[in-house]
Amino acid sequence: MTRRDFIRKWLVYALGLLPVWLLDAYILPRYPLYGASPMLLPLAAAAVAVLEGAYSGTGFGLGVGLLWELAYPGGFGGLVFFLALAGMAMGAVSQYALSQSFPGCFICSAGVVGLLELLRVARGLLTNAAPLSALLEAAAPEFLWSLAWTPLVWLLFRYIYNRVGGTKLA
Amino acid sequence: MKDFLRQNGILLLVIALLASILIGICTFVLSGEADPLSNIVNTVTAPVRGGIAAAADWVEGAYAYVFHRGELEDELDALRRQVGELQEKVRQGEEASRENDQLRDLLGLQARRRDFVFEAAKVTARSTANWESTLTLSKGSTAGIEAGDCVVTQTGVLVGVVAETGLNWSTVSTIINTETEIGGIVTRTYSAGVLEGDFALMNEGKLKLNYLPEGAQLVSGDEVLTSGRGEVFPSGLEVGRVEGVFTDPSGQTRYAVVTPSVALDSLIEVFVIKDFEIVE
Repeated sequence: MTRRDFIRKWLVYALGLLPVWLLDAYILPRYPLYGASPMLLPLAAAAVAVLEGAYSGTGFGLGVGLLWELAYPGGFGGLVFFLALAGMAMGAVSQYALSQSFPGCFICSAGVVGLLELLRVARGLLTNAAPLSALLEAAAPEFLWSLAWTPLVWLLFRYIYNRVGGTKLA
Repeated sequence: MKDFLRQNGILLLVIALLASILIGICTFVLSGEADPLSNIVNTVTAPVRGGIAAAADWVEGAYAYVFHRGELEDELDALRRQVGELQEKVRQGEEASRENDQLRDLLGLQARRRDFVFEAAKVTARSTANWESTLTLSKGSTAGIEAGDCVVTQTGVLVGVVAETGLNWSTVSTIINTETEIGGIVTRTYSAGVLEGDFALMNEGKLKLNYLPEGAQLVSGDEVLTSGRGEVFPSGLEVGRVEGVFTDPSGQTRYAVVTPSVALDSLIEVFVIKDFEIVE
């Protein structure tokens, strides 16, 4: 694959990420379901990691993490490394243990979103923000509502993968 | 995984780690101010944010017009009646104010007055997570907005406090956010406390009035204003009304649950108090 093909491929993936980000940041928070807004960015990282493998998953996770930290309020930097690491892990797991299919993506998405929720609950407990029950009441609907968006995100990135993914442009 | 190691995947992870550390350091050092990269990203995306907010508001308005026209007409009638009543009250208020001035002169009291310097701003985005309650405004440091400035509605109801500013955007921590901490006072009893966001109450759109004095006899419906203690925030801004008084699980202190007067979900335009002073 030439450098030009490589850049073109990842530009298309970035374009695919754009509507996901706009939905996640500006549209869905206006219409919360039972007080919860979904997290779509980790789903995008999971979908690309499952389709493209560990190396590309790490790079895309890094990019998504940067977008999350820089474009959203209240970040402290940890998500960049977390999503890069998660991209690598999800890519490796889908290559060796699961499959590069929707069920594989769903399991990876559940894993990464679940881990994020657990970290937030743990942070809430450590900072005495609220009792465990209240933290779980916030985390559970967010987790479920986020996973409900997995098919849409998967379809979008699978469509991109079928056009430009892997070494198709080579 | 072999591809990962062959293609220098570890290098990508190191870059990610360094980026995390860099952002973390910037966040820590530039407390209250956006780090340069966030500033660039949010400045560049400000028109997108504004466009989406405008489009969504238009769609909601069109939906309301088509499906709730009858309700809108009823509301318009009610508002017209209300405007008439308010105009009457304004006339009465002007008369009372004139009388008040005369009494002040007579008694030789010095009038206490606060001079607010306002900056109008549009709400371009709302919280993007369920773990905080924030708003993003369409103006930032170029308009003179600074972290710590109070944000109110056009009727003077407190919305929150500016937490972070960029060039043409700023983030507001709303009054129900867990990071909020403002001095509050109950006007009926003059009981002072600290208004704090509470995680469990945040999802219900409410907040706490903590550290109530012993013997404070609050009742449901009592009005809560900012106390202005410490002169960090202006006093007399309307916050909300007491919903109930509860005892802390430790049994040591009591707190009141306050329902804010502001409807955070439907805010379109707000006013940032850039400057205020108390003339004794």
